[in-house]
Amino acid sequence: MMDFYDSNLVLIQATCTGLILALSIQVPLRMGVFSFAGAGSYGIGAYLAAILVIEQEVSAFVAIGAAMLATAVIGLLLGLLIFKLNGLYLAMATVAFDLIIGVITINGGETTGGSTGLYGVITDFTMGQMFALTVIVLALVALSEVGRTGRRVDAVRDDPELALSMGISLRRYRLTAFVVSGALGGLAGAMNVLVRSAIGPLDIGFGLIVLGLTMIIVGGSRSWKGAVIGAIIFTWLPDILTAIGEWQELVYGIIVALAAVFLPRGIYGVLVDLNKWLRRRRRERRDPPPAVAAEQAGDIDPKPGDVREFALNEETVP
Amino acid sequence: MSAQPVERTSTPVLELRDLAVHFGGVRAVDGVSMKLMPGLIYGIIGPNGSGKSTLLGAITRLTRMTRGELLFDGASYAHVPPSRLARLRVARTFQMVRLLPDLNVRANIQIGADSRTTSDDRTGSRPSWFERLRGPAVSPAVVDAIRRTRLGGFESYYPSELSYGTQRRVEVARALAMDPRLLLLDEPTAGMNQSERAEISGLLRDLRDEGLTQLLVEHDVQMMMDTCDYVFAMNSGQLIAEGEPGEVVRNPAVQEAYLGRKWGRDA
Amino acid sequence: MQDLLSVVTLGSIYLLFALGMSLTWGTIDILNFGHGAIFMFSSFTAYLVLQQTELGLPLIVLLGLVVGALMSLLIQVLAFEQIIKRAKDKRTAEMQILIGGIGVAIIPLAIAQHHTKSNPFGFSSSTFTVDTWTMGDLRITNIAALSIVVALVLWVAAAVWLRRSRQGLALRSIGVDAETAALMGIDRRKMALVTMAVSGGMAGLSGVLFTFGLGAITAESGDTLLVKAFACIILGGVGSMLGVAFGAFFLAAAETVVLTQTSGSWVEAVSFGLIFLVLLFRPSGVFGRADVRRT
Repeated sequence: MMDFYDSNLVLIQATCTGLILALSIQVPLRMGVFSFAGAGSYGIGAYLAAILVIEQEVSAFVAIGAAMLATAVIGLLLGLLIFKLNGLYLAMATVAFDLIIGVITINGGETTGGSTGLYGVITDFTMGQMFALTVIVLALVALSEVGRTGRRVDAVRDDPELALSMGISLRRYRLTAFVVSGALGGLAGAMNVLVRSAIGPLDIGFGLIVLGLTMIIVGGSRSWKGAVIGAIIFTWLPDILTAIGEWQELVYGIIVALAAVFLPRGIYGVLVDLNKWLRRRRRERRDPPPAVAAEQAGDIDPKPGDVREFALNEETVP
Repeated sequence: MSAQPVERTSTPVLELRDLAVHFGGVRAVDGVSMKLMPGLIYGIIGPNGSGKSTLLGAITRLTRMTRGELLFDGASYAHVPPSRLARLRVARTFQMVRLLPDLNVRANIQIGADSRTTSDDRTGSRPSWFERLRGPAVSPAVVDAIRRTRLGGFESYYPSELSYGTQRRVEVARALAMDPRLLLLDEPTAGMNQSERAEISGLLRDLRDEGLTQLLVEHDVQMMMDTCDYVFAMNSGQLIAEGEPGEVVRNPAVQEAYLGRKWGRDA
Repeated sequence: MQDLLSVVTLGSIYLLFALGMSLTWGTIDILNFGHGAIFMFSSFTAYLVLQQTELGLPLIVLLGLVVGALMSLLIQVLAFEQIIKRAKDKRTAEMQILIGGIGVAIIPLAIAQHHTKSNPFGFSSSTFTVDTWTMGDLRITNIAALSIVVALVLWVAAAVWLRRSRQGLALRSIGVDAETAALMGIDRRKMALVTMAVSGGMAGLSGVLFTFGLGAITAESGDTLLVKAFACIILGGVGSMLGVAFGAFFLAAAETVVLTQTSGSWVEAVSFGLIFLVLLFRPSGVFGRADVRRT
């Protein structure tokens, strides 16, 4: 066990940061906000934590806290600017935001280390703290998927108009999505730089968006469990695929493409559907569904309009 | 203009004054005024495209109105955001069934009850943040709504597993779970068979007897005559008649709006 | 003057690339994020063929065109059609097409990266040589001149096609109102395939010309162009042919100004910033029709 842990430490660390990055894109997605801003927040969080540690020699705790606070505030401001955009336009605005962050880090001079980035970010950050943070984040996200909040998030995503008439403020939920996405992205970036001790512009480019997105798409976009599945697959897959040899990237690409096209809800979505189907089978075998009784009670008119007009005729035509 | 039954309370639950909704050049609703007194069932009839659903949209603030005034309990709410309407306890159902596919029947109805847990609750005490986040597992309002709409046994079903008529009943149950003071129903019996319709009609009358004000949009005139106390007839975005259901149906203008079209098609 | 000429050259490349993307987005609602991969892989295929045999410019251009069109058809049939078939509404379809395009693009990228080890590749073994022509104090390479001519010709052709022809009319009506188009008896599937093929052909063509013009490109070149093309399209307005040309040349001009006036590598930020500003202040673009605005 310890051997496994020691020899795979880097992968375990990458799973944690990858998971939280994935959550930073998944949380807004679950609220119907198609925002990739989490990747930009990752960059901001990583650089901010690195700068604070190098120049102010702050502790890991302070660096992470400051990074999360800053990215949450930036998330809020970004959200206030663009939360009215929808669909593709919102997605692309946030992609632009992410890429601008990348350009800024290249041009930041000594503060950001230009195209080489920053290194020597060494603190007292331990693996135990990293696990604790990851578990806390997972628990909070899981809490938002159940009960009242879970139902409301579902409504905001699947039917905004219905959500409004159920007394749910779309504006508040969408802004929350931006803030949470920002904080999670910042946390992922800060943790990553603290365990890897270096960060550069290449780490926060378009590839980061693709990585976070593929984790959710393959794992599942509707639950934290999907993000966990995705993070594990895409952190460990490249390592396992070295066995397949030189074509690992191709296999990786094919998996992502297949999932994107055929499993829009990801592996977790398939499990959920399977579970639903099994439950229905069991229920039907146990007792006939009440639906059958209702349907046998009378003929359901397939086109309601006809009957309605007929009813009027009977009533009013002498 | 209204010749309504005089009630002791003189403030209407809902009042519209010269309400209009224009989409570009299309006048979907064009100067409609009406008053709904407490504890009665009101109906709007009219042919397809006469502006009934648009009117409901404007009343619930989901559709932007061009001009006019909206009053609830005598207070204007023309600028209140739609999400605040639940706090006034205005509930509605939709013309098309709108249930959340990933939630089972109980959870779909619970969303209605959720809207009541933040504001001045019946329990009196303000729930803690955790309770608000979590919400009650099953509210009494949900149990009650399930019983009244006779959905017992369906609680753990998903919308896709239900017949259309049953889905509509879930919609009604969700609105009831909001414990409304005003209930707006957009064709609640569409897709139901005769016995289901009679059942819903009976339910609505029971609710009326308990004091719930309702506004019903339908084109099934028989259903309206059985259910409503007072009916408005709409055509081309305007009110063309109002009064007792029997009276309105016999109104020549209403007959022309409906039957002129019908005869023209049959001839 | 020389600066203006380089703006026009750069703008033509952007136009050629963005034209195909604009065509599919404005008519059949497909924002194809595989467009950059088609661009790159067409050029990469030409590079592979050139390692085996010597070809002249016309054949290489033709090769790029055909490979691009075929790839685009393949993506349409294997990915986008499947997504549209399964999606429950238009909004989810749009999103999944975006994600599916990103996913599909990984495959050609992985192949090219594997083969080139992410090093730049070019057409050094072609029989075509790049010359520089001088007119007064103006210098222009033959390939730049060719790019400008091809971009303008294709742009005019696409605009005329959309405006005049029966097929163009059908496409435009799909872009404005899919249901009416279906009522008019337009075969959506066939129109979508034709559009995707044309769009892919343009991507392949621009890939080959771009590689000639620059000498060499890398496997990742498509990604950057993708975002720039998006900037061109929304700046001009989705669905507007005049708009995409305006967007392409405006972006080229803005980038040239930034490149000559500032130090460092801020030039990349121009397109990203532009996207942001346009979406904030005028989401329908400069020439956009308000009724096609997809919000």
